[in-house]
Amino acid sequence: MLEHDVLVIGAGLAGMRAAIAARAEGASVAIISKVHPVRSHSNAAQGGINAALTDRGDGWEDHAYDTVKGSDYLGDQDAIEVMCQSAGQALIDMEHFGVTFNRDDEGKLGTRAFGGQRRARTFFVGDFTGQAMLHVMFEQLIKSGVRRYEEWFVTGLIEEDGRVCGVTALEIRTGQVFVIRSKTVIFCTGGLGRLFEPSTNALIVTGDGMALAYNAGAQLMDMEMVQYHPTTLAGSGVLISEAARGEGAYLLDKNGERFMERYAPNMMELASRDVVSRAEQTELNAGNGVNGCVYLDCRHLGKALIMEKLSQIREIGIDLAGVDMITDTIPIRPGMHYMMGGIKTDVDGQTNLPGVYAAGECACVSVHGGNRLGANSLLDTIVFGQRSGVHAAQACRDQEYIEFDVEQAVRREERRIQEVIDRPQNGDRVGSVRLAMGESMNRNLAVYRDEAGMLETMHDLRGLKEKYTRVPVDNKNRVFNTDLVFALELGFMLDCAETIAVSALERKDSRGAQARTDYPNRDDENWMKHIVAVKGEEGPEISYSPVSITRWTPEERKY
Amino acid sequence: MKYAFFPGCVSRGGCPELYPAAKLICQRLDIELQEMPGASCTGAGVLQEKNEFLGDTLNARTFAMAEDLGLPIMTICSTCQGVMSQANHRMKSNPEYLAKVNVELAEEGLEYKGNAEPKHLLWILIEDYGLDKLESLITKPLAGIRLAPFYGCYILRPTDALDFQDNPDRQSSLERLIETLGATVVDFAGKTRCCGFPILTINEKNSMAMVGKHTAEAKDLGADAMVTPCPLCHLNLDAFQPKASAQAQRSIDLPIIHMPQAIGLAMGISPKDLGLQRHIVSTKALITKLGVAAG
Amino acid sequence: MDVTFKIKRYDPEVEAPESYWQDFSLTLDDSATVLDGLIKIREDMDGTLSLRCSCRSAICGSCAMRINGHAGLACKMQVRLALDDDNVIIIEPAGVMPVVKDLVVDFDMFWSKIMEVDPYLRPEGTEPDAEYIASNEAMLHLSGVTACIMCGACVSDCTVMEVDPTFLGPAALAKAYRFTADPRDGDAQGVSRDRLEALNEPTGMWDCTRCAECVEVCPKGVAPMDRIMALREQAINAGFDNTYGARHAEAFSNSLEHSGQLDELRLVPNTVGVFNLPVLLNMAPEALRALTHGKLPPIIHKKIENADRVRKLFRRVEDPDRS
Repeated sequence: MLEHDVLVIGAGLAGMRAAIAARAEGASVAIISKVHPVRSHSNAAQGGINAALTDRGDGWEDHAYDTVKGSDYLGDQDAIEVMCQSAGQALIDMEHFGVTFNRDDEGKLGTRAFGGQRRARTFFVGDFTGQAMLHVMFEQLIKSGVRRYEEWFVTGLIEEDGRVCGVTALEIRTGQVFVIRSKTVIFCTGGLGRLFEPSTNALIVTGDGMALAYNAGAQLMDMEMVQYHPTTLAGSGVLISEAARGEGAYLLDKNGERFMERYAPNMMELASRDVVSRAEQTELNAGNGVNGCVYLDCRHLGKALIMEKLSQIREIGIDLAGVDMITDTIPIRPGMHYMMGGIKTDVDGQTNLPGVYAAGECACVSVHGGNRLGANSLLDTIVFGQRSGVHAAQACRDQEYIEFDVEQAVRREERRIQEVIDRPQNGDRVGSVRLAMGESMNRNLAVYRDEAGMLETMHDLRGLKEKYTRVPVDNKNRVFNTDLVFALELGFMLDCAETIAVSALERKDSRGAQARTDYPNRDDENWMKHIVAVKGEEGPEISYSPVSITRWTPEERKY
Repeated sequence: MKYAFFPGCVSRGGCPELYPAAKLICQRLDIELQEMPGASCTGAGVLQEKNEFLGDTLNARTFAMAEDLGLPIMTICSTCQGVMSQANHRMKSNPEYLAKVNVELAEEGLEYKGNAEPKHLLWILIEDYGLDKLESLITKPLAGIRLAPFYGCYILRPTDALDFQDNPDRQSSLERLIETLGATVVDFAGKTRCCGFPILTINEKNSMAMVGKHTAEAKDLGADAMVTPCPLCHLNLDAFQPKASAQAQRSIDLPIIHMPQAIGLAMGISPKDLGLQRHIVSTKALITKLGVAAG
Repeated sequence: MDVTFKIKRYDPEVEAPESYWQDFSLTLDDSATVLDGLIKIREDMDGTLSLRCSCRSAICGSCAMRINGHAGLACKMQVRLALDDDNVIIIEPAGVMPVVKDLVVDFDMFWSKIMEVDPYLRPEGTEPDAEYIASNEAMLHLSGVTACIMCGACVSDCTVMEVDPTFLGPAALAKAYRFTADPRDGDAQGVSRDRLEALNEPTGMWDCTRCAECVEVCPKGVAPMDRIMALREQAINAGFDNTYGARHAEAFSNSLEHSGQLDELRLVPNTVGVFNLPVLLNMAPEALRALTHGKLPPIIHKKIENADRVRKLFRRVEDPDRS
């Protein structure tokens, strides 16, 4: 019988941090991931992690204000306070774990400037901070002795008497279905970038946890808040880090002009991401780009700096677009990158479902509100990963395992999976259904939105969901059947997509990442609130949740 | 064409047939060789394990001597080539480092100015001499002979130190040479792998496994002989073939010849003058197949 | 461009499974990577093709495989640079590790070797309240090694692991170096003696044959072999100088110091110990054959011209008192 006090689903930064923290509390902990932990998408975070260190004369309140403003006042200030207060210690913990952060001349942790912040408080490892942190976290996970289910795919949550008591999972290597019993689960499954085409996100980022939680009755909040990153590479959509702009790079239109002058005269290229993305999109719509792109210019930074601090993105430019940023400009455009919305939680990761937690990108506490500042996500993962792990472990102490018919649960899931495998060919393919969804989402739920466009996508999604119930797979076997995994992921993606479209239609103002041409202004009187989606009979049902305001009154947002 | 000749240690030590064979064919090719009796061993990568800077300094010394002679350097050993190229790459890409090296050389009144481009005879033939010109000197093409190329790690990797980007033909140089000599190339997976010589005294079992694997593979694919531009590889593949064969519990009997010997045979030089009788694995069958007198 | 992907496939679920080749013809953009092609195949043509891939940007390490015989990341390899004269690319699963299905290999042995080197920071002494003080130079040096994304390309093409899977291997050894070179790991001087001692054992740092395959195929510039050489230097400096490997380097060095050239005859006895009869007798047949074939190096070892200059150079560079 596979059973653990705490089951962490997802082994990125948030998941591994939660697992380590839960283990330290003495719980029996397991972590399950559909890829090996070091393949997790946390790897792709490039720029750095924010923290206000008091010995630098920085204060958490400044960081918190920048974050609140960055969120376009939709972020919950109590949660933001918790995150910014915890940041310093969280950063030092990472350094003690062994992360090889850049240093200043005195050998102390060094910083770089980053978007939306008035002082430099982004700590970094070259331009591969996420990879550096992820691998160190994996080292600590090994040290902690947490049980790892590597390349196991969670296919469903098991509920008994309205309470989640375990999961069904597919061991990808063998194709066998298992049940894992647990007292608590912590979703750390990341974002949902593959709903959009293109996206900076890896192929594995398919909103699994958000969909699983949603289907079990969890609240999804702020789903309309989808971040489009200003600098994604032409073609593949791969991320070109904000770090480039942090080090001084310019954004140029086709005439070589720094157009940010007209949109954010103070912070220029380092205004918050939604502001920059909208600026770019406006310029592109006005015909000031080339082949749908504007340019990132790093040439004046010099070879030495680029090789020391931006080497990875230089490689990406060379390998994927044939440009060397030492001598060329890089063609970029806004691309889908991050999900501010997600499973609604409190500051300890608790959701509305007893025993179910969430942390990291898949969660919405909300610390990012309508727009996330760069380098706040890495911070979010480790602060709330830790808090969730601790809380879940403590909650287990007075809990027993819930009894249920494990054999039956396995059989049921087995049958469901076999049904998918047995479907006859009908001309549709998983890949083409996903692509249709991705293109529709990128057309109508991107930087600028309007009602007609969003309704069109709602319509598209309905049709695709119907196709989905019959979409076949080529691989009729079980060993490493990635075809099957993609089909199951597509189901999760379509569920999430629906909640995004419904929430975006519901919000009739422009705030943070949502920019509606039919409601172009921020309307604090009516829309200073979170939009919450819960699964209903006919689809997502909307309700609202108030924004926590502690010390910063919402004001007009200018950079 | 004139070169500062750097034969390396093994071509006069454990593979003493190589040095005279190399000189002999250079004579035929009208390539003049100027020895550098004051030049030391390259360190073969072994010295570099203990002290990389010291190794680089020794090689810079050799480069400086060649610069003073005003001649480019020719090597006849893959290992010498690779070690020299790596040392050169480090010094050329970092002027501060080169300056540090030159501080040591100054004690002897030497200075390396950074212009050396040591080249293996194999590369010289492909790039400077020309295979067409070589072909015109082939009087006894090795028709019907199946030769398996074995490069030796140091002449293949790492490619940036060996300038493969600017000289992509180096990747397949040995195979094209074999074809120019009139023989058929036996393509096999082991041609770019390691002979195991560096770990001979450290892990004999693995070293012998590597020798056995690559020679057996070539033999099973019908090779009459294996040809290599590296005398260290030759030592392992030839002198230790009986041991490897015993460990693999199968017969191999694949003669291993040096690159200059292969060229010499195609030029009609006698096997005896090329030292083929010295090899541990008998070359008699090869000589018979060539249809020449052993000399 | 119209290209052919020639892929080595394997299905463990058929009766009597064995690997087979399958050709796929496809049309790709000029800027396409090998991974773009593979994804196109599995999405549009044949969903049974199994491979691991995720980030598409050389950071997750999932898609290591052999392309035209050499290991690399499929997402980093441009198709137009990998085509042969017939517009064919040959794609096989990574080497050394057993194949699970198609291009998916079993990474268990890879990870077990990583685990063997205790891959987490082990500082001795008390932890400071704030960060450990360390130079940027030290951190930049380490970042060159932590750049490793555990893709397995080095292991795939390691010429030692090809014949001996018990060798710790380039990935694990580079990972070990990441810690021995970290000033925060080990004692107050940053020396991690117990790590070096463990790595000095058979299957450890001295079993690398210096073939540079790992340096060549690593997609992140980690250069595992160079790290292994650095480990050797660290081990010798820490006083672990009694392995055959260390003695070999020492004997080689002494030979050059005294004569400027390698004294091959004496190298073996000096490496294994002049009284090490079992090992020396083991080499006797080779020595005898060399003697009868006129290949034994001369007993009287010749020095190079002006060998004293080389000796002086050695003394100067190796002087322990020099800064």
